[in-house]
Amino acid sequence: MATIGHNNLNAKLVLLGDMGAGKSSLVLRFVKGQFLEFQESTIGAAFFSQTLAVNDATVKFEIWDTAGQERYHSLAPMYYRGAAAAIIVYDITSQDSFTRAKKWVQELQKQGNPNMVMAFAGNKADLEDKRQVTADEARVYAEENGLFFMETSAKTAANVNDIFYEIAKRLPRAQPAQNPAGMVLVDRPAEGSRGAASCCS
Amino acid sequence: MLESELHDLSDDADYAASQQQGSASVMLRSDSAKQSSPHEQDDAEVLFSKDNVAIHPTQFASERISGRLKLIKQGSSLFMTWVPYKGHSSEANLSEKDRSLYTIRAVPFTDIRSIRRHTPALGWQYIIVVLSSGLAYPPLYFYSGGVKEFLATIKQNILLVRSAEDANVFLVNDFQNTLQRTLSSLELPRAVSVACGPSNLSVDEPNSPSFNDNQERTNSGANNLSASVPQFHGRPKHKVNDPRDISIQVLEKFSLVTRFARETTSQLFGENQNNGFSGYERRTRIQPNLDQPKKSTDIAEKVPAENPVIPDPKPLDKLSLVWGKPRQPPLDSPEWTAFLDSEGRVTDSEALRKRIFYGGLEHNLRKEVWGLILGYYAYDSTYAEREFLMSVKKSEYETIKNQWQSISKAQAKRFTKFRERKGLIEKDVVRTDRSLAFYEGDDNPNITVMRDILLTYSFYNFDLGYCQGMSDLLAPILFVMGDESEAFWCFVALLERLGPNFNRDQNGMHSQLFALSKLVELLDCPLHNYFQQHDCLNYFFCFRWVLIQFKREFEFEKTMRLWEVLWTHYPSEHLHLYVCVAILKQYRNKIMGEGMDFDNLLKFINELSGQIDLDASLRDAEALCICAGENGAACIPPGTPPSMPIDDGSFYNQLEDEIL
Ligand SMILES: Nc1nc2c(ncn2[C@@H]2O[C@H](COP(=O)(O)OP(=O)(O)O)[C@@H](O)[C@H]2O)c(=O)[nH]1
Ligand SMILES: [Mg+2]
Repeated sequence: MATIGHNNLNAKLVLLGDMGAGKSSLVLRFVKGQFLEFQESTIGAAFFSQTLAVNDATVKFEIWDTAGQERYHSLAPMYYRGAAAAIIVYDITSQDSFTRAKKWVQELQKQGNPNMVMAFAGNKADLEDKRQVTADEARVYAEENGLFFMETSAKTAANVNDIFYEIAKRLPRAQPAQNPAGMVLVDRPAEGSRGAASCCS
Repeated sequence: MLESELHDLSDDADYAASQQQGSASVMLRSDSAKQSSPHEQDDAEVLFSKDNVAIHPTQFASERISGRLKLIKQGSSLFMTWVPYKGHSSEANLSEKDRSLYTIRAVPFTDIRSIRRHTPALGWQYIIVVLSSGLAYPPLYFYSGGVKEFLATIKQNILLVRSAEDANVFLVNDFQNTLQRTLSSLELPRAVSVACGPSNLSVDEPNSPSFNDNQERTNSGANNLSASVPQFHGRPKHKVNDPRDISIQVLEKFSLVTRFARETTSQLFGENQNNGFSGYERRTRIQPNLDQPKKSTDIAEKVPAENPVIPDPKPLDKLSLVWGKPRQPPLDSPEWTAFLDSEGRVTDSEALRKRIFYGGLEHNLRKEVWGLILGYYAYDSTYAEREFLMSVKKSEYETIKNQWQSISKAQAKRFTKFRERKGLIEKDVVRTDRSLAFYEGDDNPNITVMRDILLTYSFYNFDLGYCQGMSDLLAPILFVMGDESEAFWCFVALLERLGPNFNRDQNGMHSQLFALSKLVELLDCPLHNYFQQHDCLNYFFCFRWVLIQFKREFEFEKTMRLWEVLWTHYPSEHLHLYVCVAILKQYRNKIMGEGMDFDNLLKFINELSGQIDLDASLRDAEALCICAGENGAACIPPGTPPSMPIDDGSFYNQLEDEIL
């Protein structure tokens, strides 16, 4: 969900993708400017926030980083429901992670908020010599599915801030005030009109 | 998981057959309708009623609680109730509180996510009902059969589909709606069977006693929400009418204890409790844990006026002073030797476990003792027997390891599952405890050993496979054991206890988080109410704590200390849940004072990593565990990990069933 104050927008963002694709590393780079060669795996989920200035407004991202393994799939909806934006991450050195990313896109298209801004991130772009997924292939897929696409590297920081900045620019602006009590409220069936889905009404 | 992947129950011949028994449930319906109250609303009908459906709150057969399970239709809504029998002679030792705690009061199926059917090789079929909130009821054992009819009746009334991933899991309504409800229902107080605050919504309350039946009314006609005080010696029975009173009663019991303790301890220390030892000690313990040390001394004053914090009904200061005994230095070699007879048997395993519980082990003893407390070696084995077992197990390990080592490249190409598993494991071993000297650096051979053990385990237990978090459990074990085969078998022993944490349907985690919610409700009702009001009752913010036993919360040495303490299963095999309660209680004022919602709570809890005082938490946990006593134990559904291995081997049957 995204909320707006005086030129200040709060936006819930979720990272999805195969384990090891670099979700946590992207967040860590964006939020703390760090990179860990041996970033430990995410157990359960992690929550971060970071504010970006876009033109004369600010966007405060409330970021959910999730565990990637298929085994924990059943927990994911808890985190992506009500999200205003998602970054679906794959690892350009792994065709499998690309396949899995496409599955996440499908799931979000089916179950997610229809106005969700979706970014498709081909991470580990610094590992050119191990590349298995071409940028063209990913770009075509992204265009067909209405996502915007960037290759990123959490390691070198290439395109990391940019992808968040792009998302911030694309977030729908005029949104009614939201119930502040947390992500679950958007999903109250009776209150669908307050959910992110209707934010442009 | 996607709708298209689900197939309907009707493809199952069993179900087609059981549906024909629908007429039987119609008879039951008219039968039960007669018994019900004259106030019954016209549209409430009992579609299914089954006697002798029981829960097993503890592992003791004498403590099982039998009751009647019903499906009730009111308008277009379907409800499930389970009400324990009253005054049953064989269960006379059960308190009313236990009954009330477990009573399922007309839960609507819109609040239910799934039903899992278990068919153990030995014993009764049972089901686990998981709510949309993520909580689950304790397993319901069908002593007189009827699981099929139960499911068939549900299916006749609402959409029930079999999960594509697990044929024993039945999803209530379609996936998409279920997802919506997963979140939306978190706000419904009735998702929890015992409401702690204002009475929960329930069609079976006194003003609409439509679902009461004879069983419940034989006992002095009280409505079925009534509960009596836990019985103390010779005290007259006394009834209370609100479920909230149960915890109040429990707390009163605690406060008696506390008052008693206060008197004794002030004598002991010869000083006034209020400004004495405990207050001072508590502060010095908490101080290093907070960003701004000043906060800790004056938490109450720091709390903003708009967030008044309801005081802890049982401040830990007093409890620790009473119960939580001071931690001891770790067990050392001379003391360890004294526990052994001349041939190496542990003469008094109970005393040993107790000693390790209070102080842990000196590091050099871990290699020898971990295998015993994990149950890999028997306490009464001799040095020679352990040596022998070690060599037998070594070759057994090699055999299993060889199963995957002999898979050729060409074979692996056509063995997706193997490649996937290997891939998962390889991704995780290189990012597990790499800052530790033992695992650090390129081409560290210990990382290869870790990979080999995990891959071998995924062949040893192919159904469970590899799951994120397992490498965290293995890293300290391999570090301590050094030897590959020994580490493997200790890891196996640990996963016999914790395996269900990694089940695909998350049932091991659900039951632990459910138990945790019950324990907080019992031990800190205001905090429970706070979580309820802030949609935090699913306790997912404690997921990491529970899944890998606090591995990420403490530095490596402290994790090893905590684990050996937990593995003693003294004073409870579920002490880890009391550790959760203890930590939450330590930070309750901050959590409530700052009005944390789910997001911020999860962030806060994750960031506590490295800041929790282990000894203080253990001491508090012990105090809480002892104070909660049987009432605490009753909060924990049977089979909640870590299941204590039972000598007769039935444990393994159960585990097998869990992992399916
Ligand atoms: N070379 C390179 N490695 C990366 C990059 N991003 C992440 N990694 C590494 O990939 C591994 C998995 O990263 P992580 O962020 O934990 O992935 P997650 O499971 O998706 O959260 C870690 O060892 C990271 O150091 C990147 O952009 N370039
Ligand atoms: Mg991660």
